[in-house]
Amino acid sequence: MFSEQAAPTAQGLLAPPSAEPPTFPRVPVSGYSDCSQPFQLGERSFSRQYAHIYAVRLAGMRPGLERHARSRWGSDIALRKLSELQTGEKCCVVGTLFKAMQLQPSILQEISEEHNLVPQPPLPKYIQPSDELILEDELQRIKLEGAIDVQRLVTGTILAVYGSEQDDGRFLVEDHCFADLPPPMPWNGPSSDRFVLLASGLGLGSVSGEALLSTQLLVDVVTGQLGAEGEQSCAAHITRVILAGNLLSQNTQSRDTINKAKYLTKKTQAASVEAVKMLDEILLQLCTSVPVDVMPGEFDPTNYTLPQQPLHRCMLPLASAYATLRLVTNPYQANLDGVRFLGTSGQNISDIFKYSSMDDYLEILEWTLLAGHISPTAPDTLGCYPFYKSDPFILTECPHVYFCGNAPHFQSKLLQGKEGQQVLLVTVPDFSATQTACLINLRDLTCQPITFSSFGTDSED
Amino acid sequence: MLYDYVERKRKENSGAQLHVTYLVAGNLVQNGHVCHKVAVVREDKLEAMKSKLSTIASVHVYSIQKALLKDSSPLYNTDYDIVKTNLQHCSKFSAIRCAAAVPRTPPDAPRAPASAQSPQGQRDPNAAGAVNGHGPPAAKPPPQQHKGIMGMFAAKAAAKPQDTHKEAKAEAKEAPGVSAASSKPPTKNNIMNNFFGKAAMNKLKVNSVPEQPKEEKEVAKPSVAVAEPESSPNTVAEKPGKKTESARIQQKDKKSKTKRADRSDDEEERDPENVKKKRKRIKQLQSDSSDEEADVPPSPTPEEERAPSPLPVPALKTELEPASTEGAAGGRKRKRKRVLKSKMFIDEEEGCMGKTG
Repeated sequence: MFSEQAAPTAQGLLAPPSAEPPTFPRVPVSGYSDCSQPFQLGERSFSRQYAHIYAVRLAGMRPGLERHARSRWGSDIALRKLSELQTGEKCCVVGTLFKAMQLQPSILQEISEEHNLVPQPPLPKYIQPSDELILEDELQRIKLEGAIDVQRLVTGTILAVYGSEQDDGRFLVEDHCFADLPPPMPWNGPSSDRFVLLASGLGLGSVSGEALLSTQLLVDVVTGQLGAEGEQSCAAHITRVILAGNLLSQNTQSRDTINKAKYLTKKTQAASVEAVKMLDEILLQLCTSVPVDVMPGEFDPTNYTLPQQPLHRCMLPLASAYATLRLVTNPYQANLDGVRFLGTSGQNISDIFKYSSMDDYLEILEWTLLAGHISPTAPDTLGCYPFYKSDPFILTECPHVYFCGNAPHFQSKLLQGKEGQQVLLVTVPDFSATQTACLINLRDLTCQPITFSSFGTDSED
Repeated sequence: MLYDYVERKRKENSGAQLHVTYLVAGNLVQNGHVCHKVAVVREDKLEAMKSKLSTIASVHVYSIQKALLKDSSPLYNTDYDIVKTNLQHCSKFSAIRCAAAVPRTPPDAPRAPASAQSPQGQRDPNAAGAVNGHGPPAAKPPPQQHKGIMGMFAAKAAAKPQDTHKEAKAEAKEAPGVSAASSKPPTKNNIMNNFFGKAAMNKLKVNSVPEQPKEEKEVAKPSVAVAEPESSPNTVAEKPGKKTESARIQQKDKKSKTKRADRSDDEEERDPENVKKKRKRIKQLQSDSSDEEADVPPSPTPEEERAPSPLPVPALKTELEPASTEGAAGGRKRKRKRVLKSKMFIDEEEGCMGKTG
C-alpha cells in the first residue's frame, strides 16, 4: 500500500549517518482543475424565499427521475402530476419528500407565546415512530404510506413513487426509486502511484492538546521529515493534501461576547484568533512542501450556510504567501490528475444522520449519491443559500472519489454503478478524536487510513 | 545520526542514562483493513510495537532524553518551540523538495525602477530552473555554488519576489549541494558550537536579503550600496566556509526532527556542563529570530550586520563595525538601530529583565 516499498530499508536509519542523504522531489501536480465554481457565490442576496430552491431542484431532477422510472417500471407507465391523480389508478409521481417530524426543532414553536415551551435541547436523533411522509410537487401534496421506509428518508429528497391514490386521500406506495448514480465520467487516472491525503477535524484551539503531537507528526510525515528513506520517498508521492473542514475546534466557538457584559469581554480576544495563528503555522509548514486545499467546516470562521465560502487569505498571512495553498469552498469539487473529487466537510451527512434512522456515515454517504443530491435536507434543517436559478447540489456527473469529513471513524467503499461508474466513498474521520487521516491512491482508487500515535502516562496503545 | 550518538554514549558507559524514543511506522491490520500507523514509542515499548505491525516501514530514533518521559508532551513542546523559531525555513530540512512551493508574487509590486525589471526577468527563470533542477541531488562543487549565491546576495536586490526566489534557491542549493562536499567528522561539540554561532549568522544573512527590498526608498541611498559590497566581500570569504560547515552539519542530520531533538537534547545534556555559554547562544538564536518575527520595519543591511556583533566571534565584530558605521544614513535608520540594540542587550544578560535603551 502506502509504504510497501519502504519495508526493506526500514531499519536504515539505525546506523551512523551517511555522508549524502538522499532528497526526493515531490511528485509534481500534473493535472489540477478546480471545478467548484457552482459553489462559489458572488453577490449574495438573502431577500428571496426558500421555496424557489425546491422548485428548481424538482425541475432539475424531474427529467432524470422520469427516465429512471420508465426504465424500472416499464416505459408505458403513467406519469402523473398530483393534480391529475385519479383514485385507484396505478401511476408514477415525481415529487419532493417532506417528513413531518414531531421532534423537529421549530423556531416558530420556540418563540410562540401561547405554547410557553422551553426550547428543546439538541438531541442526537430527532426521529420518532409517529413521523409521516408527504410528497409534494409544484402544486399539491399528498400523504404517503405503504412500501416506503418513513424513518430512513429525509425531507428534501426528490423521488419517484409508484402506486395509486386511495379513497381516503393517501397515496399507497408499491415501489419507489431515486435518481440513482449520475452518468459516469471518463477515467484519466495516473498510471503510477499518486496519493492524496485527506484529513479533517484538526480541531485546533481546543482545550486539550493531545492531538497536537499527532498533528505535528502528520505534517512531518507529509513533508518528509520523518521516517526512513523508503518512507520518505513514499511520502514524496503524496501529491496533495485536502483538509476537509473543522480546522478549528468547537471550543473556539464560545460566544461570550454575546452573553457577557461588555466591560467583561472588552479586552478579551476571541479563542479563534490563537487557533487561526496555529493553523497558519501548520499550513505554512505544509505549503512549503505540498499543495494543500483547505475547506472550511462547521466551526471555521466563514459563513454558516452551505455552500461555505473559502476562508479569507488575510487570516493566513504566512501560508497564503505560497502558491501551493488553495482556499476552497465547502462542497469541493476538483479534478486531480484526472480523478474527479467531490466532498464536503460533513455537515450534510451529519444533518441527515440526525433526521434519519440511518446510523452509518458511509451508508448515508452512499445514499446521498444514489439520491442524486449532496444535501437534500438543506434548506430545511441545514442552512443554505436561497438559490433560485439552479440547485448546485444536484449531482450531474459521477465523481470518482466522494468523501465527507468529520465522520466518527474511517470507512471506505468502492461502489460500482450500473453504467460503469466506479466511486470510492470515503468517510474521513475527525483527526482530533481519532488521529487518523486517509491516503487515497489515485492509480487504483484504494484508500488506506494512516494513524499517528504518541505515548501517554498510561500504557501504550 | 542520533542512533550513532546513542550507541557511542552507551559504549562509553559514562553513567548518564539515556532514554531514547523511537518512531516506528508500518502497516497494521485493524478492523479488517490495513492501516498505516506512525507511532512514537519509548524504547521499552519498541519491540512490542514492532511485533504488532505486520510490515515495518521505518524505524528511527525520534529523540533522546536524559530523563524518562512520562508522556509525549515535552516532545511536542520542544518541537513546537523550534518550529516556531524556524518557521520560514522549515522546508530546508526536509528530504522532499517541492518545485511548486514558490512564494507568490505580491499583488502590490515593489516600487523598483523599471531597470530592475530586466534583471528580475533574468533571475526568475534562473531561480525556477535551479529549484526544479535540484530535485535529484546536485553534483556541482559546493564552493562555486555558494559563491554564486553570495554573488547574488551582493548585487543590489530590486524586487522582493526575486529575493524570495533567491532565498528558495539558496535553501534548495544549500542542502543538496553540500551533500557532495566531503565531510571530515569533527567532534560533535565543535559542530554544535559552530552551528549555533554560524547558523545565526546564516539566518541573518539570508533574512537580510528579503529585508532589503522593503526599503525601496533606501535602495537608492548610496550608503547602503557602499555598505553592501563592502560587507559582502568581507563576509563572502567567511560565508562559504561557514555555510558549508553549517549546511554540512544540516546534512548530517537527515531529518529536522533528529536535528531539533538533537539541539534540544544537547541543551539538556550540556546543561550541567557549560550552562551559561550554551544558553547564551541559544538565546542569541531566539533573539535573532524574534527580531525577524517582531516585524521590524524595513531595516537596512548594516543594521542586520550589527545585530550579530554581540556574538562571541571577535573577528566578525571588527569587520562588521566599519561596515555598519558607514551604513548609517538617515535619522530613521538610526532610531531603529537603537531599538534593536536594546533588545540584544536584554537577552545577553540572560533573562534579566532589565529594560535598557
